[in-house]
Amino acid sequence: MLVLAKVALGLGATLAMTTAYVFHEGVIRVDVDESRPGGSHVHFWVPATAVSAGMRVARLAPQHPLELAAEQAKPYLPVFRALAKELQKYPNAEFIDVTDEEQHMHIGTVNGKLHIDVVGDDKTVHVQVPVETLMDVAGRLEDASRSARAEGWHARHAKPVFASE
Amino acid sequence: MNLSTRGFLKAAATLALALFALAPAASLAQAATDTDQWIHIRVTSRDAKGEVVRINVPIEMAEKVLPAINKDRLHDGKVRIESGQVKDVDLRAILDAVRTAKDGEYVTVQSNENNVRVSKSNGMLYIIVTDKEHVKKAAAKEDSAKGEKASAPVESKVEIKVPIKVVDALLSAGKDELDLVAALRALSAHGDTELVTVKDAENDVHIWIDSKNSTE
Repeated sequence: MLVLAKVALGLGATLAMTTAYVFHEGVIRVDVDESRPGGSHVHFWVPATAVSAGMRVARLAPQHPLELAAEQAKPYLPVFRALAKELQKYPNAEFIDVTDEEQHMHIGTVNGKLHIDVVGDDKTVHVQVPVETLMDVAGRLEDASRSARAEGWHARHAKPVFASE
Repeated sequence: MNLSTRGFLKAAATLALALFALAPAASLAQAATDTDQWIHIRVTSRDAKGEVVRINVPIEMAEKVLPAINKDRLHDGKVRIESGQVKDVDLRAILDAVRTAKDGEYVTVQSNENNVRVSKSNGMLYIIVTDKEHVKKAAAKEDSAKGEKASAPVESKVEIKVPIKVVDALLSAGKDELDLVAALRALSAHGDTELVTVKDAENDVHIWIDSKNSTE
């Protein structure tokens, strides 16, 4: 009985630790609702830690999809990183608000999360991303971009040039 | 496992849990202070849709993000001016003349199309442009719409108020460049101020600086 209690305590503690770790960065939430007939309704939430972990795993893949993403996002990475870093200083702020008779768009931060909300006559979109996750993503993309350069990504992925061309 | 080891493990587990739980709160602790200056832009459309755009940007954020944008003429927080645009006009000399001159009105242009006034007072440069053509066009539109009563024509008026120190900072980069980051720093140091007001038949535009993080 005592052994069972110890095992239960161990499992409980592990579960609590895992849950705390998984959610310590917060949750990414996306809600999309189309009010037209047959419109789509998408609702999902992902622990932000899963994104970081996913990016770590992606670097192990043979095709290295992160390098491709990093190369495509390269021109915007410095701005993305600077913006994410600065956003951390403004956990509760209203940045952009556009209202007209058909829709309302709002971009701001609430409790350290970037909120993007668009409420229109026919569509509603709500996106919430922890600012910390944006920093993490920017950092990992920059790392991937650096390693792509170091490993000669362009040389490996350049289209072959034929003599006749 | 003896009692002291068990106690130590319990304490370690509790501490680890607390650290994980408090990690986001710790990052929020770096939050900006209430004294940060914000640039606010508000555009209110006068049309039937009544579109209202509100943009609030912390000056510090703009200072940090601008140098990261390298596109077209914008590099390292500076805008390159084509030499053709300032041909035969020595901006620095003009600014220096305005800065060292006494307070007063320097330019007054009154014509059928518009009125322009440039003046200096208490370290601020004022530029006021009133476009009369806009009023005429609106009146003509009203005439052409027979039977339909158009709204009263509104003259287009642009008022710009810039601290001289900001203009100085803007021109501090070099001959063919405007230093936006230096100008932002100077603006931030200046405190709360109105910068631009534009009123015409289509839109009201208002740009100002204060320490509030929302428009209203």
